[in-house]
Amino acid sequence: MTRPRRPWLLTLVAGVITAFFLLPLYWMIATSLKRPDEVLSSPPRWFPTPPSGESYAQALDKPMLGQALLNSVAISLGVVALTLVLAVPLTYAVARIRMRGSAAMVLSLLVAQLLPSIVLAAPLFIVLRDAGLNNTLLGLVIADTTLTLPFAVIVLRPLVRAMPAEIEEAALVDGCGLPGVLWRIVLPVMRPGLIAVGAFSFLLGWGEFVFGITVNSDPEVQPVTVLLNTFVGQTGTAWGPLMAAATIVSVPVVCVFAMLQRFIVGGLTAGSVKS
Amino acid sequence: MTTHSTPMKVREPVVFTGDPAAGGGRRRGGSLATRRTRAGYGMSAPALLFLGATMLFPLVYNLWTSVHQVEIGDLVTGDWAFNGADNYDAVVSEGAFWHAARISLLFTAGSLVFQFTIGFALALLFVRQFPLAGLFRGLMLVAWLLPPIVSGTLFRWMLDADSGAYNELLHTVGLDALAHNWLTDPSTALPGVIAANVWVGVPFNMLLLLVGLQSIDPTLYEAAAIDGAGPWQRLRHVTLPLMRPVAAAVLLLGLVYTFKVFDLVFVLTGGGPVDSTTVLPLYVYQSAFKLFQLGRGAAAGTLLLLVPLVVAVLYVRRLRKEGAAA
Repeated sequence: MTRPRRPWLLTLVAGVITAFFLLPLYWMIATSLKRPDEVLSSPPRWFPTPPSGESYAQALDKPMLGQALLNSVAISLGVVALTLVLAVPLTYAVARIRMRGSAAMVLSLLVAQLLPSIVLAAPLFIVLRDAGLNNTLLGLVIADTTLTLPFAVIVLRPLVRAMPAEIEEAALVDGCGLPGVLWRIVLPVMRPGLIAVGAFSFLLGWGEFVFGITVNSDPEVQPVTVLLNTFVGQTGTAWGPLMAAATIVSVPVVCVFAMLQRFIVGGLTAGSVKS
Repeated sequence: MTTHSTPMKVREPVVFTGDPAAGGGRRRGGSLATRRTRAGYGMSAPALLFLGATMLFPLVYNLWTSVHQVEIGDLVTGDWAFNGADNYDAVVSEGAFWHAARISLLFTAGSLVFQFTIGFALALLFVRQFPLAGLFRGLMLVAWLLPPIVSGTLFRWMLDADSGAYNELLHTVGLDALAHNWLTDPSTALPGVIAANVWVGVPFNMLLLLVGLQSIDPTLYEAAAIDGAGPWQRLRHVTLPLMRPVAAAVLLLGLVYTFKVFDLVFVLTGGGPVDSTTVLPLYVYQSAFKLFQLGRGAAAGTLLLLVPLVVAVLYVRRLRKEGAAA
C-alpha cells in the first residue's frame, strides 16, 4: 500500500478507536484502584482519585488467592513442558518421515483443534479418576495439554517441512544419529515456533476454565480462573477486590505477550490460515 | 530387527568404506528408509498414545454413554442399560435443546457478523503505514489473549446497570434512553453476551485479515489507480476478490471457535436470565454436570459435535484446494 499523505491523522483515528476498544481494561484497572466505597457510586467516576490499594489488600486477603495463583503458574508451566515434549517428536515424524498414516494424523489433529472441550470434560474426568489423577495439578496439566498439543503440531509442522533436506542429510552423513539431528538441526529450525507454542500453551493453561471446574473439585488445586468465578456473586459482588484480582490475573498475560509478541503473532497466523 | 535397541536409540555413526551414496544406508536393522520409518513411529507414539487416552477415548466413551441409560448412581455400580436411541430421542424432543440450539445460532451469527466486519474495517485501517500502528495493534490483541473468565467478569462489570461504564458513557453522550440493565433483562442479555464475545474476537479477526491484506501485491493497486480506479473501486475490485480465501478461512475458524464458547457465557450470565443466553455447550454442561443425566448429556454432546465436524470437512476441503493450487 502507498504511504498515506497524512499519517498522523490515521494515528489519531486509530488512537481513538484503540482507546474506546480498551475501555474495559482501563475500567478494570481504574475500579481496582478506587476506594471500595467509591466503586459503586452512581454515576460512576472515571478516575480513581486518589488511588487506593485497599481493593488489592482485600483481594490478597482472600484465603485461596495466593494458592490458586501458584496452582495456575504450576499448571501453565506444566502444560508448556508436556506440550513441547510430546509435540516436537510427533511434528518431526509427520513432517519429515515417510510413514503410513501421517496424512491421516495431521488431518485428525486439524479436526481435534475444533472440538468443544465441554464434550471431552465428562469422559476426561473418568480417565483421570481411573488413573488416580483427578484433583491433582498433573491431572489438569494433562487435560489442558489435550487442547494445546494438536495446535502445537499444526504450528510447528510447516517450519520443519520448510527445512532443506540437504542439511539433515549432511548431518546424517557426518555421523549425527537421528537424536543428534533432532537436537542440533531440527530444534534450532523450530525455535520461533517453539517460542510461539510455548507462549500459547502458557496462556491457554493460564486461562483454561472448563476442565478446571469439571475434572477437578478440590479447592486446594483449583486454578485461579475457577476461584475468580466464585468471586462473582449472584447478589452483591465485591467489584473492587474482584477487579483487583482480575488485574493480577491479567498481568502475566500482558507480560508474556509483550515479551513474545513477534513470535505469538507469527505462530498464530501460521497456524490458522495455512496448514 | 533382532536387537533390543529401540529406534530412538540408533545413534552409532554411519561408517563409510567406499562411495557415500551407495553405502551407509544398508546396515543392521534394514535399510535406512525402514529404520527411519520405524523411528518415526517411535517418535509419534508418545503423543498419539496421549491423545488416544485424552481425546479419542473420551469421544468413544461419549458415544458409548449416549446409547445407555446412565444416571449419577450408575457411575459407581457400572450398571448401564443399553437403551439405543432413547437418549437422542429424549434430547431432540425436549424444547430446551432446540431453544439452546436457537440461542447458539443467534450467538454465533451475531458474533461472526460483527467481529468480522469490525475486524475487517480495522485491518483496512492498520494496513496503512502510520506512526504507532504496531503499538495500537498489539494493545488490542491483549483483549483476545485475556482468560475468558477475566473478559467475562470485566463485561459483567462494564454492563452493570448503575455503576457500569457503558451506561455512563451513554449518559455522557446524551443517549440516556439507551442506558439499560443489559444482562438482567432477558431481551438484551444475549446482545450483551454477543458484545463481549465480539470484543474478544475482533483482534483475532483483524490480525488474520491484516496478514491477508499485507500479502496482496501492491502493484495491483498501482495498476488499478493508473486505470483510474478510485479508492472505493480498488477496495471493491482488487481487495475484496483477493481476500476471499482468507476471509473464508477466518469465518470458518470463527464459526467453530464461537460455537464452542462456554466460559465467557458461563461467567457473564450462567445462561440466564430465564435461559435467554443458554448456548448449546452450556446446555450440555447443565445436563451432564448439574442434572447428572449422563446418558442424555452425552447424546447432547454428540449432537454438539456435528457442527465442528461439518465445518472441519469444509475447512479441510478448502485447504486441499489451496494446496493443489499452490
